[in-house]
Amino acid sequence: MPCLQRAQRPQGDVAGAHARGPDENKHEEKVQDPDRGEDDTKAEMGSKTWADLAREMKMFLWNPEERTCLGRTAKSWGLIFLFYFIFYTCLAGMFAFCLYVMLLTLSPYTPRYRDRVSPPGVMIRPYLNGFTIAFNVSQPGTWQPYVDSMHHFLAAYDDKVQEEKNIECISGRYFIQGGNESEEKKACQFKRSLLQNCSGIEDPTFGYSKGQPCILLKMNRIIGYRPGAGVPVSVDCKVQKGNESNLRSVDFYPGNGTFDLMYYPYYGKLTHVNYTSPLVAMHFTDVKKNYMVPIQCSLNGKGIINNVNSDRFLGRIIFTLSIGK
Amino acid sequence: MVKEASEMGSTNSSSKAWHVVYKIIKIWNVMIIEAVPDVHHNTKTLFLLQKKSDVYSVEDLWDKRSRKTDIGDEEEKYKDLKGNKKKKAEDLKKEVELDDHKLSASELEEKYGTSVNKGLSSARAAEILARDGPNSLTPPKATPEIVKFLKQMVGGFSILLWIGAVFSWISFGIQLAQGAESPFDNLYLGVVLALVVILTGIFAYYQEAKSTNIMASFSKMIPQQALVIRDAEKKELPADQLVVGDIVEIKGGDRIPADIRLIFTQGCKVDNSSLTGESEPQSRSCDFTHENPLETRNIAFYSTTCVEGTATGIVINTGDRTVIGRIASLTSGVGNEKTPIAIEIEHFVYLVAGVAISIGVLFFIISVSMRYKILDSIIFLIGIIVANVPEGLLATVTVSLSLTAKRMAKKNCLVKNLEAVETLGSTSIICSDKTGTLTQNRMTVAHLWFDNQIYSADTSEDQTTQPFDQSSPSWTALSKIVTLCNRAEFRPGQENLPIMKRVVVGDASETALLKFAEVILGDVMSIRARNRKVAEIPFNSTNKFQLSIHETDDPNDKRFLLVMKGAPERILERCSTIMINGKEEPLDSEKAEAFQTAYMELGGLGERVLGFCHLYLPEDEFPDTYPFDTDSMNFPTSNLCFVGLLSMIDPPRSTVPDAVSKCRSAGIKVIMVTGDHPITAKAIAKSVGIISATSETVEDIAKRLNIPVEQVNRREATAAVVNGMELKDMSLQQLDEILCNHSEIVFARTSPQQKLIIVEGCQRQGAVVAVTGDGVNDSPALKKADIGIAMGIAGSDAAKNAADMVLLDDNFASIVTGVEEGRLIFDNLKKTIAYTLTKNIAELCPFLIYIIASIPMPIGTITILFIDLGTDIIPSVALAYEKAESDIMNRRPRNKRKDRLVNEQLAVYSYLQIGIMQSVGAFITYFTVYAEQGFLPSTLLGVRVDWENNAINDFEDSYGQQWTKYQRMYLQWTGYTAFFVSITIQQVADLIIRKTRRNSIFQQGLFRNKVIWVGIFSQIGIALILTYGLGHVTALNFTPLRFQYWFVAVPFAILIWVYDEVRKLFIRRYPGSWWDKNMYY
Repeated sequence: MPCLQRAQRPQGDVAGAHARGPDENKHEEKVQDPDRGEDDTKAEMGSKTWADLAREMKMFLWNPEERTCLGRTAKSWGLIFLFYFIFYTCLAGMFAFCLYVMLLTLSPYTPRYRDRVSPPGVMIRPYLNGFTIAFNVSQPGTWQPYVDSMHHFLAAYDDKVQEEKNIECISGRYFIQGGNESEEKKACQFKRSLLQNCSGIEDPTFGYSKGQPCILLKMNRIIGYRPGAGVPVSVDCKVQKGNESNLRSVDFYPGNGTFDLMYYPYYGKLTHVNYTSPLVAMHFTDVKKNYMVPIQCSLNGKGIINNVNSDRFLGRIIFTLSIGK
Repeated sequence: MVKEASEMGSTNSSSKAWHVVYKIIKIWNVMIIEAVPDVHHNTKTLFLLQKKSDVYSVEDLWDKRSRKTDIGDEEEKYKDLKGNKKKKAEDLKKEVELDDHKLSASELEEKYGTSVNKGLSSARAAEILARDGPNSLTPPKATPEIVKFLKQMVGGFSILLWIGAVFSWISFGIQLAQGAESPFDNLYLGVVLALVVILTGIFAYYQEAKSTNIMASFSKMIPQQALVIRDAEKKELPADQLVVGDIVEIKGGDRIPADIRLIFTQGCKVDNSSLTGESEPQSRSCDFTHENPLETRNIAFYSTTCVEGTATGIVINTGDRTVIGRIASLTSGVGNEKTPIAIEIEHFVYLVAGVAISIGVLFFIISVSMRYKILDSIIFLIGIIVANVPEGLLATVTVSLSLTAKRMAKKNCLVKNLEAVETLGSTSIICSDKTGTLTQNRMTVAHLWFDNQIYSADTSEDQTTQPFDQSSPSWTALSKIVTLCNRAEFRPGQENLPIMKRVVVGDASETALLKFAEVILGDVMSIRARNRKVAEIPFNSTNKFQLSIHETDDPNDKRFLLVMKGAPERILERCSTIMINGKEEPLDSEKAEAFQTAYMELGGLGERVLGFCHLYLPEDEFPDTYPFDTDSMNFPTSNLCFVGLLSMIDPPRSTVPDAVSKCRSAGIKVIMVTGDHPITAKAIAKSVGIISATSETVEDIAKRLNIPVEQVNRREATAAVVNGMELKDMSLQQLDEILCNHSEIVFARTSPQQKLIIVEGCQRQGAVVAVTGDGVNDSPALKKADIGIAMGIAGSDAAKNAADMVLLDDNFASIVTGVEEGRLIFDNLKKTIAYTLTKNIAELCPFLIYIIASIPMPIGTITILFIDLGTDIIPSVALAYEKAESDIMNRRPRNKRKDRLVNEQLAVYSYLQIGIMQSVGAFITYFTVYAEQGFLPSTLLGVRVDWENNAINDFEDSYGQQWTKYQRMYLQWTGYTAFFVSITIQQVADLIIRKTRRNSIFQQGLFRNKVIWVGIFSQIGIALILTYGLGHVTALNFTPLRFQYWFVAVPFAILIWVYDEVRKLFIRRYPGSWWDKNMYY
């Protein structure tokens, strides 16, 4: 190729060009121009100008002679698009098919593996943003959001609602419901009133207005999980770091801060529709005021893990109470 | 337009200047190396001397005129230099101002404050040394090691990764300032990215340093000594201690230690080849013979060599102020041209970096407009860059190249510059030197003529007998002359060596005759001892014969035997009879005619012909005690008896014809460029196939058609023999025309400058040019060539230094091996890159889908690095061991502008087809892992914000279970691991399909390349170790994966294989079809 181009060139274009008159020169350059643009040897020697580059770019985008855009004709583009359309359609079909087959193997009631979700984690309410509950007793605006959050959360636990939807169960043993997996499962009542001082019934501010806040603790749901292996899991709280005396007394409801066995196991949201997680309310009646008190509340029971460093919500929860006057 | 034209003009003239520049670099190298002859120099010198004497005695000396014009050319080029660079012009002017050659010895003594007899005093010398500095050239500013290292740190993809690292640190800083909970992830990521860059940089640096070190062994230096007169005493001093005004003595074999004005000479000749490129030694005397200091005879220049004789002179310039030092210091800044593979890799880096940056920026914009936080968007950007950049690839390429280099070294091609490994593969023109490369570089008897008949002799490298008919008594007579009229001798102590390998003291043709006689007759030395020599006239150029008189070994025959050899026509003049079948017959015109025919025929073969004759001196006239006097010639030297002719040639190596035809079929044009006679060159070219049997030159056609040369249609001639003299008068266009129109070209009688012009001419055709050479004078062409190939045995250090490759066995056939390996590595690098690029999409897609669909992150940045730098490395190197798919020596060399290493098809097929398939397979695994843990695919869409929220520790899955953040993270890492494993599994399939580009895997053989299996097992092994061995190291984000997840992607791996087989099938079935054009990479 380059050989031919060279051969066709008029002689003396390199050596003699600048020796001749300017007019002659111009003419010769004009003649050579198109040839030159394509002559890559020149380009590679580094004498490519920006104008050349722009022209090449334009040629590449739309070449009117060969009617190509980005180096392909319309037909070529059409074929390419057709090919990729078919290719990707097939691939998408295969992807969908594989997913479908995979999903077919799954039970809608119980996930295949539950090893990553157990043992259970723990959460608290009220939950606004983080795990610092800070308010001033004298300023209702600072604690009202917490109270609202509590009310909102406990709405599902209203005695009426519970009585209407759920059944009363026998306390002290697991409520195991046999039968077909697909049958709807019954849920046990957990009435708000069980939380006594923290139920928000007598004191709608959950003690926040007195500087003795209630905090609800709930254990994460895990299908088929039976916490405590026959002995109810209990809750205790202590100061996480610092002076133990900062937290002088905590009241637990219901009972002594245990999760009754009758609320377990959980059967999954498809069949256990009205299941309401049991709660333990912690009433911090005497916490050092005007002070950030880090508190760790942990579950205690057989099979509960509450001391791994990597997961600070596994079997325990750490939050900070900061109650001002 | 006018401006453009003038630019072109200046380019042209400056390109001329470059010739000089290139040459000069070479010269500089010569000096460095020759400044200190290496350990093996002694043996080599002998070899070289032998070779040189061969050149001078066998071939006519160069036309004086051509030499002068060459020098003229050079001056013209100097003028160009002046025109271009003012500073250079000034420096060169100084050179011209040198006038020491015009001064007399006493004036010089005065000027330099020295004495010819006593020399300088040590104290004065020390003073001057302190003023001028040592007599050595300042080395060119070699790139400091640290700069080389830093270049590795920012070259290639490194810059992208640095950007990634910096972004990571920035986002770490921002997060830290904002008090986010886990900002350290980004810090670690940045550190890891930086580490990756630094480690790959160190690796590349180490590789480069290693390959440079190979060559360091070639240029081991021991300081040169000079014999100096100081304090009226002769002293040996290191040459760098010389100062202006020192009196030095030089003898044959010495390198001139500085610029010296000669004040006393005795038969002194210097080899100025390092300065002028002229290998003819020039005599030196004390006389001022020319205005131009470069041409006058009474100055010897630094770095040239004294070939013979002795001389004494005053040092007039030292170190950088010497003529050569000045030129060298001007031009030390010129760099090498990029190798084709370097251009390809650069192209590929740009391509990938372009894709990485554009996708990165596109998704940065998308994520910002999707209301992601800027910080998050930056983190996405890092992920996309990391996913897109094949971190390990450049290291892999280096390893592949060095593996090939090792393989080539085993086959006697030593590669200096790793990238040159591939250059040979893309070579389209080889400009080969004749002597030593194509030929054996030793004269060998090729034909004999006696009894009116031509006999051929065996010229192979390892001859042990000669097959021709030796029964004739004429042969007995001839063999006697050959044995006796010969001054060459074997060096003692070589009895066990094969005759052809023994070292001989004597000139080339005598050596040839000696070996020839030794092969046929056995112990020549004892024959000579039995025929005692009583008188001898050695060969000289005036009488053009050599004569000796011997006693005979027949005790009954008391006659003396006079034997003579020399130029055939001169010998014939002295003969009155001719021996036919052992009988002397009168030399009539018919017999003389037969002689002429034979002489012409042998001469026409490009062979050097010698005539042999003898005479038994009558016993009565020349009794035992006759005092032979060679000066008065008191014995007959005419009316002798002509015995026969022997013709000699430097025969082609036996492997060369085959190698040349292989080059031919590989589409490589082999051009012979030699300083030799056109006739000899053409003869050799014909015998090795550079000019094939059927093709004709213009002259041949003219002769055949019996028309003048001018009337021949030049296009009809496929071959051309171009004489250096013709070349000198040609314009560049004419040269281009010759290079284009003739497929078989021989350049004879070329000067070093012309070699350079030829190489440039070839390069103008867009060819990748390989040049072979051995001499100092070849160095410019070697350097200019895309790949310079020096001879390892015969090659000068300068040539080796300028070359990119050294042929350890000096054998042209080794080049063919090199070409084959070069082409193979190019193909295999394509495969390696295709293999490596594929998984980049499988690494990139997760990010894109993560951003768009807000699913939990499918694969982590660190995990990606483990694929790129862990599991994928050994398999991609293993592809370098893949055998060729077809006969790669039967296709044309690649077009360096069209056949890119990474072309559109390769990128599209890897990225948009196999890569997407891999992604789909990996996503199936990902979704399976999540679904089986409770998160169905529908739940995963759009959960990103809550999923990554540290405060949400009761995140509900599809079944109503609640997950803490860490539990989710752990699941996410399991997802990473699953994704990683899937990519690994599918990369196994990818590896297998990349074994071939056209053939079916079954044609190629699944088990022929064992290294591939090493690759596959290592890949799986590393994945197992990462998953199960390091699964508990949280920082690495691997978790022990359930075993069944290893198999989820297997159907997709099989699909990839089947799909690629179908692709290859269609390519083979329908060559040239749409499919072939779009799917063959």
